[in-house]
Amino acid sequence: MRRRADRAPRGTVPRVRAAAGRPRKRGVDLSVDLGPLRLKNPIVAASGTFGYGTDFLPYLDLRDLGGFVTKGLSLLPRRGNAPPRTCETPSGMLNAIGLANVGVEAFLSEKLPALRDCGTAIIANVFGETQEEYVAVARRLNGAPGLAALELNLSCPNTEKGGLAFGVSPPVVRQVVAAVRRAAPDLPLIVKLTPNITDVAVAGSAAREGGADVLSLVNTFLGMAIDLETRRPVLDNVVGGLSGPAIKPLALYMVHRVYREVGLPVLGMGGISCAEDALEFMLAGSAAVQVGTLNFFDPTGSVRLVREIEAWCRSAGVRAVRDLTGTLRLPAGRPPAPCSG
Amino acid sequence: MPSDIAAPVIRHDVLGRDHFLLTLECPAIAREARAGQFVMLRAGRGFQPLLRRPMSICRVLPGRRGRIQILYKIVGEGTRCLSQQPVGATVPTLGPLGNGFRLAPDGTRPILVAGGIGIAIFPFLVEALRAARRATPLLIYGARANRDLVALDFFRARDVPMRLATEDGSRGTKGFVTRILEPLLARKDRGPRMEIFACGPTPMLKAVRERALGAGVPCQLALESQMPCGIGVCLGCVVGCPPDERGPIFRRVCAEGPVFGAEEVVL
Repeated sequence: MRRRADRAPRGTVPRVRAAAGRPRKRGVDLSVDLGPLRLKNPIVAASGTFGYGTDFLPYLDLRDLGGFVTKGLSLLPRRGNAPPRTCETPSGMLNAIGLANVGVEAFLSEKLPALRDCGTAIIANVFGETQEEYVAVARRLNGAPGLAALELNLSCPNTEKGGLAFGVSPPVVRQVVAAVRRAAPDLPLIVKLTPNITDVAVAGSAAREGGADVLSLVNTFLGMAIDLETRRPVLDNVVGGLSGPAIKPLALYMVHRVYREVGLPVLGMGGISCAEDALEFMLAGSAAVQVGTLNFFDPTGSVRLVREIEAWCRSAGVRAVRDLTGTLRLPAGRPPAPCSG
Repeated sequence: MPSDIAAPVIRHDVLGRDHFLLTLECPAIAREARAGQFVMLRAGRGFQPLLRRPMSICRVLPGRRGRIQILYKIVGEGTRCLSQQPVGATVPTLGPLGNGFRLAPDGTRPILVAGGIGIAIFPFLVEALRAARRATPLLIYGARANRDLVALDFFRARDVPMRLATEDGSRGTKGFVTRILEPLLARKDRGPRMEIFACGPTPMLKAVRERALGAGVPCQLALESQMPCGIGVCLGCVVGCPPDERGPIFRRVCAEGPVFGAEEVVL
């Protein structure tokens, strides 16, 4: 508690300042807390849609974002799947990139140093084909200067379990999350849930039991496209992940469910392409949101969302955007939210 | 440095069946563009289509207004939507992107090989070659039928010799561009040095690549690909390259291309 004598006289200092130090008109506090992780605003660029951050420097100032998540990192570099890797679908797209990435060592030696002092939260996305690989990558990243958090991608096929994704088996989720938690004790741990499961809240609870700080959801939905003329799948990999506005209602429901059932802060995503979408996810329980496919068709869209959310809050009389999280008004007679996140 | 500009439509001309020539005003892009580069155009307003479409820069118009032209053919929903943009509308335009052509060295004759709408990339290259005082190129241009051959006036006005081919024989040589290219390559010992610049459908590029490598003639291929972002982040547009001991290698058409040496890619 500050003592009265420490306080600046009223009217001499803007009461709320943006993180970059610029005074704002009738400041809306955009900062949000996700467990141990504080972000300057609720917009985070999603993994796989933002490269390693530097690719967007011609288009936007990274300081204007709440944060970004790197392309998924594995222990060794991966070259990914053969083309065609993507296919546009109604209001969405399928991708089967095959987790291509530079590998954790090259990330640490080449990518991360270029991002030092970039002024936004850098979240490293981690995956592996075995639990040992997840652990090894996480251990290597623990304590890396400039990293704000880890995000575990549990949608990777588990080669020791016949290629089934880690995230579809709650006992496996608990085990992997606990092992990574031990390997990277210094970083906030975000666990990214796959929607390709009967009840995403069960996987979310397993992640909480394993020691997750935050849940991010959803990853892409499995889907496919067929070329009628050739009678072949469009993607060389046959199956891909669906993203974009097409999945928004599905993702919104899953965020609502996980927020009410699990009791961890939620970082929601799925087809968000305007401020209204982001705000709906916050009402459903997201403390912050990720934007993914939007970065492909509108490279400055993420920072536009930050400005639009601020404008919306100002016009709606919301002084702190974090106050919106979980304020969905449910019809009377429905059970109240079992937890506050 | 690429820019993302809401570019006003200055003209939008119909060039025969399904072909259009779009003139956009986007000075920052016009100033930086080089032959062989492309822009990502957002064709509609909503989510249908969702993604931008990569388009070769056909020309940068002379003058200070900073206008570029895009020559395209309706092949699907994106291009159909684009074709409905009236004069005065704005089209979100991101570019210039990718690496352009390397101009042929002095004393080398450029052979331009175009298939179908692949012709769209060549007016800019012809003007760049003229500006750099290189040898006049020869254009070999193939399409399905006579009515699909477009922009011939542009090349005629610049005294670019043309050899045409149509699949149905309605104009020029009947068959594919390789029917014209092959005898030319066979005669190469008697002519000056040459370099091939090719753009068109993948089967054509594949055929041109094989002939060029076989004849030992340098060849640059401008590739097309499904390209969700155009700026190197989605990794969706890759092309296969000659493998190493660890297996296949993939390179991004948007960032490392769209122009590749014939020996750099496997089609």
